Parts: sequence; structure tokens; C-alpha cells
Amino acid sequence: MHLLQPHLHTRRAFLRRSGQLALTGAALPLALNLAAMGEAAAFDATDYKALVCVFLNGGNDYANTVVTYDDPSYNLYNTIRGGGVGQTAGGIALAKSALTATLLNPTGAPLDVLGQTRQYALHPSMSGLAGLFNVGKAAVQLNIGPLVSPTTRLQYNNSNRSLYPLPPQLFSHNDQQSIWQSSSPEGSTVGWGGNLGDLALAGNTNATFTCMSVTGNAVFLSGDTALQYQVSTTGAIKITPATASTVYGSSAVSSTIKNLIQQTGSHKLENEYNKVTQRAMAAEASVTAALALTPPTTVFPTDSLAQQLKMVARLIKGQAVLGAKRQVFMVSISGFDLHDNLIAQQPVLLDRVSAAMTAFYNATVEMGMENKVTAFTASEFGRTLASNGDGSDHGWGGHHLVVGGAVKGQAFYGKPPPVSVGNVKDSSGNYALEDQWHVGQGRLLPSTSVDQYAATLATWFGVTGSELPGILPNLGHFGGAAYPLNLGFML
Amino acid sequence: MPASDEAAARFLLQAQFSASEADIASVRASGCAAWLERQIALPYGTTGWDWLNSQGYGDVSNPANYYDNTYPGDYMAWSQLMTAPDTLRKRLALALSEFFVVSLTGLNSNWRSHAMAHYWDTLVAQAMGNYRGLLEAITLNPAMGYYLSTKGNKKENAAGRQPDENYAREVMQLFSIGLYQLNADGTTTLDGAGQKIPSYSVSDISNLARVFTGYDLDQSQNVDTVIAQTGGGTRTIGNTAFARLPMVLTPSNHSMLAATFLGTTIPASTAGAAALKTALDALFNHANTAPFFCKQMIQRLVTSNPSPAYVARVAAVFVDNGAGVRGDLARVFSAILLDDEARGPAGLTQAEFGKLREPMLRLVQWARTFGVTSSSGGWKIGDLSNAGTQLGQSPLRSPSVFNYFRPGYVPPSTALSTGVVAPEFQLVSESSVGGYLNYMMGVINGGIKRYAGNPGVVVDVVSAAYVGELALATNATALVQRLNLLLCAGQLSSATQTLIVTALNATPLTNSSTSTVKNNRIYAAVLMVMASAEYLIQK
Repeated sequence: MHLLQPHLHTRRAFLRRSGQLALTGAALPLALNLAAMGEAAAFDATDYKALVCVFLNGGNDYANTVVTYDDPSYNLYNTIRGGGVGQTAGGIALAKSALTATLLNPTGAPLDVLGQTRQYALHPSMSGLAGLFNVGKAAVQLNIGPLVSPTTRLQYNNSNRSLYPLPPQLFSHNDQQSIWQSSSPEGSTVGWGGNLGDLALAGNTNATFTCMSVTGNAVFLSGDTALQYQVSTTGAIKITPATASTVYGSSAVSSTIKNLIQQTGSHKLENEYNKVTQRAMAAEASVTAALALTPPTTVFPTDSLAQQLKMVARLIKGQAVLGAKRQVFMVSISGFDLHDNLIAQQPVLLDRVSAAMTAFYNATVEMGMENKVTAFTASEFGRTLASNGDGSDHGWGGHHLVVGGAVKGQAFYGKPPPVSVGNVKDSSGNYALEDQWHVGQGRLLPSTSVDQYAATLATWFGVTGSELPGILPNLGHFGGAAYPLNLGFML
Repeated sequence: MPASDEAAARFLLQAQFSASEADIASVRASGCAAWLERQIALPYGTTGWDWLNSQGYGDVSNPANYYDNTYPGDYMAWSQLMTAPDTLRKRLALALSEFFVVSLTGLNSNWRSHAMAHYWDTLVAQAMGNYRGLLEAITLNPAMGYYLSTKGNKKENAAGRQPDENYAREVMQLFSIGLYQLNADGTTTLDGAGQKIPSYSVSDISNLARVFTGYDLDQSQNVDTVIAQTGGGTRTIGNTAFARLPMVLTPSNHSMLAATFLGTTIPASTAGAAALKTALDALFNHANTAPFFCKQMIQRLVTSNPSPAYVARVAAVFVDNGAGVRGDLARVFSAILLDDEARGPAGLTQAEFGKLREPMLRLVQWARTFGVTSSSGGWKIGDLSNAGTQLGQSPLRSPSVFNYFRPGYVPPSTALSTGVVAPEFQLVSESSVGGYLNYMMGVINGGIKRYAGNPGVVVDVVSAAYVGELALATNATALVQRLNLLLCAGQLSSATQTLIVTALNATPLTNSSTSTVKNNRIYAAVLMVMASAEYLIQK
């Protein structure tokens, strides 16, 4: 069984292959079937929990997001990125003095493989998240990216992909987005967020509201049974021509449209379109009722990401109306593919991420639900440490943030990568320590896999150990001290 | 020769944006191939560039700061799609704009609307020319230079700066050979272990990136104007000339290193122009390019899931147009539209044939079918990308270089057969299905209104007269038959037609009914047809 073909391992995968899964997005059958066949369903949830994926589209430049701060490391960063003498800005390097206000003060300083005690600051525009980190409500996961199994730089260079498998199409936006979200390249139809939803369906009164996106279509929230339900930043869209008492003066037209748009027939594409409309019609009233509750008073900025998170907060507030005990949400922000204008454009984007996620955390506090909601960032890849003049190119590993009351914050998880773009080898052909954790130009070789990140979040969500491999097919390749299945950032 | 009005309309709706009675008669009289030849020979309509200037959007002194805005580009795009006389050419250019993607969204240049207009004009100019010429034109195009950062891309230096790899990656991944080795029929080649074979490596990208170094905007015709800004201060704004000139090479910024990619080597110290020619020839001649390009063009025009044999037939025309020429786009598009898989009746009864009409194409079809006019002549429709309140799509407004949807998109949890793709479904969500219907409900009777000022005053309305439809107002059956033919080539089932006719007849109407009653019947008929899945899926 090829390592790069996930979803072939578990009983759920068997069901998927043999087409026995309910394909209508209805609740219950999967969990009951699994229980009947002796696989334990994960949840016996009486409380509420929600995961919120904040996807940064384009591949966020990690090096200017979680910025290396201790002098030896900062000076290397400054030189590589074209900074100015005296630790000043230049090229795509940030000035050290600009980082002081967002310096992170962890309870324990991380040590890198060179034995260097490392310090980091967030980008100067991320004061909100830096503040949350420093009061223990946010954590930083260092150098995380897709891996099939633990991989060294020499193994990366080795062309034997049977022996040393890699995720396919590294550095390609659409494929890496898909792999982050589903362990499979573009074309995948099931994501791990959706699989979490599958396990949660049995506990939710209405399956439709298990996996909710306030951004566009993405594989992350599609499960085997659980389907992504998409809501706009202004709520569920009521289809006026199908629900108004008259359309162009005629009630017959209104009722005919209501009928027409939900019909099924023999053409499969026609049916699939109308199935989406059926779901929209069936669910709109419930979502609108959930949103009718007084929204949190926390002020959210007006940009798209903040408005998406505001809608998530309102949906979480209305989860009792929606009858949900476990929910997975997705929001996103675009623009991170900064091959040029990195210094000019990244601050705007990171400001939005920080302000929106901070407002969202504050809204969960206002609702008394901060310990039940965990938000985490994701992006298809980090970027090169090296500069192309005014930007950076596609990379691999990157640093990410996990935010919420249940997070063991004020700490770094994972291994701080050395700051280098070199390709130095010793006489036996091994890479120098400082060059072992990138694959050229400072593209980080991940020291933590997305599977481990997902497994840690899933475990908090309530998934048991035996269910994890079904969701994360490569998880079994990890484990042990260097690649722990639980990264430990949740309380 | 099309055997029926429906067959002729079906062809027209694949080849252009709409079908009229006159078009149908013309196709039936001469046949599809001759109709295509007439379209290929049509003079070019007004360019997007000239239209922008004729509307005054080139005026640097206007306090609206047109040079910073994208809405002129939106107005230009809708005007081109809804009014241009060379409809085949424009339809093909739109398909090309979804392959060689540049977008108003995220285009950060002065005179961004002009830059986008020239890019659009370039696609139009080359749509029935040659792929090799088109590839070179877009590579050196200034809007593309901004969009994929070739503009200002510099060679490697001693301080560790590397060439920007953006264009090198995307020109391979999206504009020519794609990610995986392909067979001539568009299917993916598999190795001995049954795995796909990547068509390029990280090293190919880094090497090819050297070829695209040293380019920047051609400012040789620039004239600056110093403009006072509202709120104080001044800005120096150049003119639009750069936006219409190919980028120029500064040799000292061009990498002199050797570059080896895709089995081709460019020796060290090769001059930029020669290096570019070698690189683009390599992409053009690669075995992947014909099937990779042709399959996606079939997907844009005819069906999401062409048979491998269909792809192979069209790709063979790309390889050799019959006169020994590779890359002849007019012949390729003709092959797509005249192929039996597009013209023959088999697709009409296959459960997975066809494609979801793109939302922007539905609106353009409405506009052309019902003879819309713009009250101001400015076609001020704007960006309709909001999925919850508008179309969820707008021309030349792809959210990224990956287009509005991926060619291989598979919607989750459907009853579609394994391997069946539905790219346009990437735009379909619980919000977008409602947004489309709500938007069209207002547009069909009220037109598309543009407000300005506070309080808002209507400065433009794009509205339909429905002349041909009003003539049939008293006969609901005939009215629905007409809409069925013109909007979806007769693809509404008789059951659906009956439903619609019954709903219309619930409101009695005679020759002496008011114009309100008659208009309402037309609006209702149009909305009900455009809401039907049998319309939405184009077969």
C-alpha cells in the first residue's frame, strides 16, 4: 500500500471505497455503523468544543511573522535578508528595534540544535497576538509543514522516493493547500476537519451545522459524511424568489421556483447543484434563528477576516439553537504570496490576522466560552529565508499560532530552526548542523508534521487514539520524543 | 449542418455568449464551420484600451484618481463581453483569461485598469492566432509583470539574492505543461509503480527563473504629471504608455549563469532575448502542452469531462493544424467546437455530460439575449464577486492565478462517478446559490443600477427591453418555448416547461392587460428558466 495514498487504511476508508457511506450529508449512519462493527465512536460529548482554522492563503513568510530576536540569530537573519548595518531595516529584513514591542516572553526559552537559546518576537503589527501569548492564551508551533514521515535533508535530496517519501508537489500552492487540509494533493475531497465532523455528527442534533465555513469552498471541512455548510459574513442567505409570498406579483411563480430549484432528475450535475440549494433552503431558517441572538458586543474590525470570525463567534453563541456539541469552522485571508513587496504588504495582512484573532478570542471570553474554542493558523507553506530583492519565494515549513483559553500558552512548541541558507557539508557528506533544517535558500525542512499538529488539536477535540489514524493516515510514521503525536500545546 | 434550431442554438451557446433567431438562421443556412470562418474573419471590435480612454478614464487630472482604481476595468470588461460584435473572438479570449490568468484583484500598479485592458486586448488579439505568440506576449506583458512579479526581477547577487521564481513556476504549472506528464489524450502518464510523474522539479524552476531576470516596465514614452492630491500634497503620476508596451530588458540585471531545465540548456552568458526564445520554445514544444491546454479549453467551452479521444483529436490539431503549423489557435478552437462530442446528440442524454454555466456567463447571456442597453453608455456594472449578494464571480477578477476554480475540482460527497470533475462547482455554496437567484430577481426586472453620490442617484442602468418576448406575452407556451430555445437550446424537459407555463397562466393575461402585467409575465418566465438546473447545466 503506497505511503502517499492516504485514506486506504481504516474501516472508514473501506466503507468509502465500497461506496457504502451515506452521501446525502445526513447525520448518524457512519458513527452508528462503526460502533456496530466494533470500532469505537470517538465522542460521548456532553460539553461543547469548537476548532477554528484560520487559513492564510498564499504561503505566509514565517521569517517576518515569528521573527528571530536573540542577537546571534537576528544578526544572521539581518544579513541574509539584506538588512542594514546596526540591526536596522533593509531589503526584506525588519529592524530589531521595531520588534521590541511584540517580543514574546515564554515561560521557558527554547533551545535550538546549535545550543543557542532563542528569542522571538511577532511582527510589529501583531501586538494583539503577542499580548495573548504573553498572558498564556496563545502558543507558537515552530517549523511545521507536511511530511509523510520524519525526513532529513539528505533524505530529501535522495531521489529514492519509495525509501524516503515526500508529500507530492511541494511548493505548489494548490497542492500544498490540499495537503495541509487533507493529506492529499489537489483533487482530494475529504479533509481532516471534515473527518472530525464525521465523528461529531452523532452528538449534534443537526448534522448540517457540524462543519461550517465562512469562506469559500475548501476540502478541509468536507468529511465522508459531514459536509461543509457555507455561511456568508452576513449570515445564511434566504432565497427570496423561493420564499417570498409573491414574485413579480405572482404567488404561483414563487411556489414554482421553490419547487424547480430543489428538483432532482436524471442528470447528475443538475442534481448536485440542486442538492446544494436544498441544503441552503433547509438550513437557512435555523441559522438565521441562531444568529438572531444578540451578538457579542466585542468590536471586530471591518475587514473580511474579522467579519468572518465575527460570524463564527455569532454561530458559536448560537450553537445551542443549532444543536451542536462539536463544531469545526474555517475562515481565510488571502494575499500572502509575497514574491515582491513583502515589506509593504505583509504588515497589513498580519495586522488583520492579529486584530481579528484577538477580537475573536475576546468575544469567546465575553461569551464565557474561551476554554471551549481553539483557533489555529495554517498556510500552504512558509517561504524562503533568502530574498529575491523585495520578496521571498515558495518554501515549506513555517511557524503557526494556536489561540484559546484551553491552550497551554506563553510557550514555544517544536524545534527552533537555525538561521541559515547555506549548503555546508562536512567531510563525511553530512550537512552542518545549521544547514540540516532547510532544503536550500532557507526553505525550512519541517521538524513537526501537520499530522502531529492536527492530532494534537483532534485529541483536545475528543478524538481517541484509535480513531486518529483514520483521519491522519501518515500519523503512524511519527511518534517518539522527536515527533510526538501530542505536541502538548493544549491543556 | 445543424438539423434543428435547437442544435444550432446549442452550437452558438458554446461558441459565443448567446443565441438569437438571426444567429440560428445563419448557422442553419451555412453550417457551423462556415459560421466559424465568418467569425474568424470579423474585424476587431473596439479595444478595451480605447474604450477606457473614450470614457475618460485616462484623464490623469480627474480627482477620482482613475490611475488607482479597478472599477474602470470592471466596466470595460462587462462592456466588452456584452456589446462587442466579434463574439466568438471575445468568448475565446474569456476562456483564455481563465488559463493565462491575470486579475484586477491584486493588481497593484498605476493605471491598473489600463494595464488590465491591454492584457485583455492582448488575449483578444491572439485568441485566433498562435499559442507561441500568445505565450511570448503575455510573458512580456506589463500587467503580467506586476501580477507574477517578473517586473523588476533581478539576477542573483553575491549577497545571496536569488531570482524571483514566481513566473517560472506558474508559466510551467499553469500556462504550458502542467504538474504531471501527460499522454497525448490528456490522461496522466503513470510510472511502473502506478504513480504520476512530475513534469518539472524545483531545480527546473530555479533555473528557468534566471531567464526571466532583468525585465522591467518600458518607461521610454513616459510623461509625468504632478497632481495635487485632495487633502494636500502632490503625487507624480506617469502616463499610461508603459501599460501597453512589452517589458524591456536591462542586460546588466539579466542572469548570465547557465540554465538547465526540462532537458534544455541555455549556455552561460546567453543574451536575454535568445534565452527567452529558447525557454518559450521549450515550453511550446513540450509534449504536455497540447493536451494540457486543449483539455482545459474543451472544459471552458463544451464539457467538464471530455473523453480522452476528444482531447486527443483536438491536441493533434494543436500539434499540426494540417499545414504543418503547431499552435494554430483558430484551428484548435474550431476543432473543439466542431468535434462530434460537442455537436453530436449523445451528450444530450449522458448523465454527466456538460458543465455548470459560469455565473458571469449567465449574466452576459441575459444581457445579449434580451438586448440590454446602458443608459449612460458606461456599462457601470462593477465587480460582482460577492457570492452572497451578487454572482460570486466577475470577469477578469479571478481571486488568484489559479482561476475561479481548478480544472480538476471534485465537489465533495456527490453521486458523481469516480474521476468525474466539475470545476465550476468550486463556486457553488449555500450562499452562492441564493446570491445568484436574489441578484437575478432584481436584475431581470429592474436592470443593473449604479448609484453615485450621497444620497445616491442612479447614474447608469443596464436594462433589457424584452421586445421579442413581449410579442409573445399572451401565449405562455410560445414564450417559454422561445426562452427554452434561446437560453438553453431546448434543454428544458417538457415537465419543466409545463411547470413554468402553468405558473405563468395562473395570472390571467390578454392583449388588453396592462404593461405591468405583461412585463411581469416576461420577468417571471425568464427567472424561472434561469433558475432551472436544466438551464444551469449547459449540455
